[in-house]
Amino acid sequence: MSFLSVTLRLLEGFGLTVEIFLITLVCALPLGLVIAFCSMSGFRPLRYLSKTFVWIIRSTPLMLQVILVFYGPGLLWGLDSMGRTEAVLAAFVINYAAYFSEIFRGGIESIPKGQYEAGQVLGMTKNQIFFKVILLQVVKRIVPPLGNEVITLVKDTSLARVIAVKELIMIANEYIATYGLIWPLFYSMVFYLIFCGLLTLLLNYTERKLGYFRV
Amino acid sequence: MLNSHAPILEVRDLKKDFDATEVIKGISFSLEQNEVLSIIGSSGSGKTTLLRCLNFLETPSEGQISVKGELLFDAADPATQREADIRKKRLHFGLVFQSFNLFPQYTALQNVTLASELLAKEQPDFRADKTRILAQIQENGLALLEQVGLSDKLDFYPHQLSGGQQQRVAIARALALNPDILCFDEPTSALDPEISGEVLQAIRRLAERNVTMVIVTHEMGFAREVSSRVIFMDGGVIAEEGPPEEIFGAPKSERLQSFLKAVL
Repeated sequence: MSFLSVTLRLLEGFGLTVEIFLITLVCALPLGLVIAFCSMSGFRPLRYLSKTFVWIIRSTPLMLQVILVFYGPGLLWGLDSMGRTEAVLAAFVINYAAYFSEIFRGGIESIPKGQYEAGQVLGMTKNQIFFKVILLQVVKRIVPPLGNEVITLVKDTSLARVIAVKELIMIANEYIATYGLIWPLFYSMVFYLIFCGLLTLLLNYTERKLGYFRV
Repeated sequence: MLNSHAPILEVRDLKKDFDATEVIKGISFSLEQNEVLSIIGSSGSGKTTLLRCLNFLETPSEGQISVKGELLFDAADPATQREADIRKKRLHFGLVFQSFNLFPQYTALQNVTLASELLAKEQPDFRADKTRILAQIQENGLALLEQVGLSDKLDFYPHQLSGGQQQRVAIARALALNPDILCFDEPTSALDPEISGEVLQAIRRLAERNVTMVIVTHEMGFAREVSSRVIFMDGGVIAEEGPPEEIFGAPKSERLQSFLKAVL
C-alpha cells in the first residue's frame, strides 16, 4: 500500500464528504430561514408545528435520522428505498435546517424594535425593512454560531457510513478490514483538518468583511 | 376632500389603551402650518404614545386623525386602516426617535437617502430616468446633511459618530421625504447635557425655516424658547394648553404648577 495510492483512494471518499457538506449547506440554509419564520409566525398552529418539528429533530440522534430516512419508507409503507446518498442528504438537510432555524430566529429576534420602526416611519414595506435593513445585521450577528454548525457539519458527514455511504471514514476504515492497516484512518484526519482550516479562514474573512459596522 | 383652510393636523378624541390600561384618554388638538408644538408632562402621561399614534406605530382605539383636511385615520372606519395605505399615510409625518435608530450598516448619507431611493424605485418612470432621479436624491441628501452641520461626516458609519451627530443624521433622514409634520420623541434624552445643545440648535434652525413640528421634550427652557404653543399632558389628557409665556409664566392648573416646580 503506497502512500500515494492510499491518498488517491481517500481523496475519492473525501469528494463524497465535500459533496454531502455542500449540498446540505446550500439546501439547509434557506430551508432554515423558512422554518425560522414559521417559528416566529403569529399564526399559532404553524408556530407550534414548527417548534415541535425542531424539538423532534434536535432531540434525536442524526445517526438514527439517517437510518430512518433510508429504511423507514420501505419498512413502514413497503416503498422502494431511495439511494443511499440521497437518504443521507435528505436527513442532513432536515437536521441542519432545524439547527439553522434556531440560529436565524435568535439573530432576527435580537435586532432592536427601533430598527423596524425607523423603517416603518420612512414608508418602507415589510420586505424592504427585512431585506434592506434587518438581514445584514442578522448575518453579522449569526456568523459565529453559524460557523460552529458549519464546522460540525464537516465532521458529521462521517455518520453517512451507517448506511454504507462511502465517505472518507468509511474508505479509511476499509484498510483496517481488508489489509489490517490502521494508519490510513489516522491519516484521514488530515483531510478534515485542512478542510476545516480553510472554512475557518473563510469565516474569519466574512467576519472581517462585516466589521465595518457595529450592531 | 382637501380644504385649504383646514389645519395641517387635526386630532379628535384620540384614545389608546393597552389591554386594560388606558394610556390616552381622549385628546383633541389641532396644529396650523408652521407651528411648533411642544408636548410636556411627566413620564407615563401619554406623550410618547400620542406621538406614536400620529406616526401609526400604534393604532388608536378611538378617535380620528386628519392632515390638511384629509381624514387619514378613523378608529370607527376599518377602511382607513389598511396596511398598504397606512404606509403611504405615514409619509405625512416624520419621526425622530429618542434612541436615534440609525441603520448601522449604512453611512450617514446612505441613511438619509435610503428611503427616498426605495420609494423612487417603485415609481413606474424610474427606469427611464434612473440616473437623474438618483442624482437628485443624492443631492438632496447632501443638502440635508449640510443643514444639520454634518457635511464632513457623509461617509461615516453611525458607530463612528457621537450621539449628537447621530441624532442630527436622524433629523436629516426624517426630513428627506419632506414630511408635512416633523415629530420628535424626546430627541435629547439619550444624550449628555453638553451634547444635547447641538441637537437643540439643529431643531431651532428648522423652526426658523418654518418647519411644522411636534416636539415631545423634557427640556423646558428649549420648549419655552422654540414653541409657538405648548401642551401639558397629565394622566392621558391635555391638562393645560397655551402659548409658552402662559404655560411657563402663568400656569393655571395646580398640576402644571407642581410639575414645573419639580422640573425647573
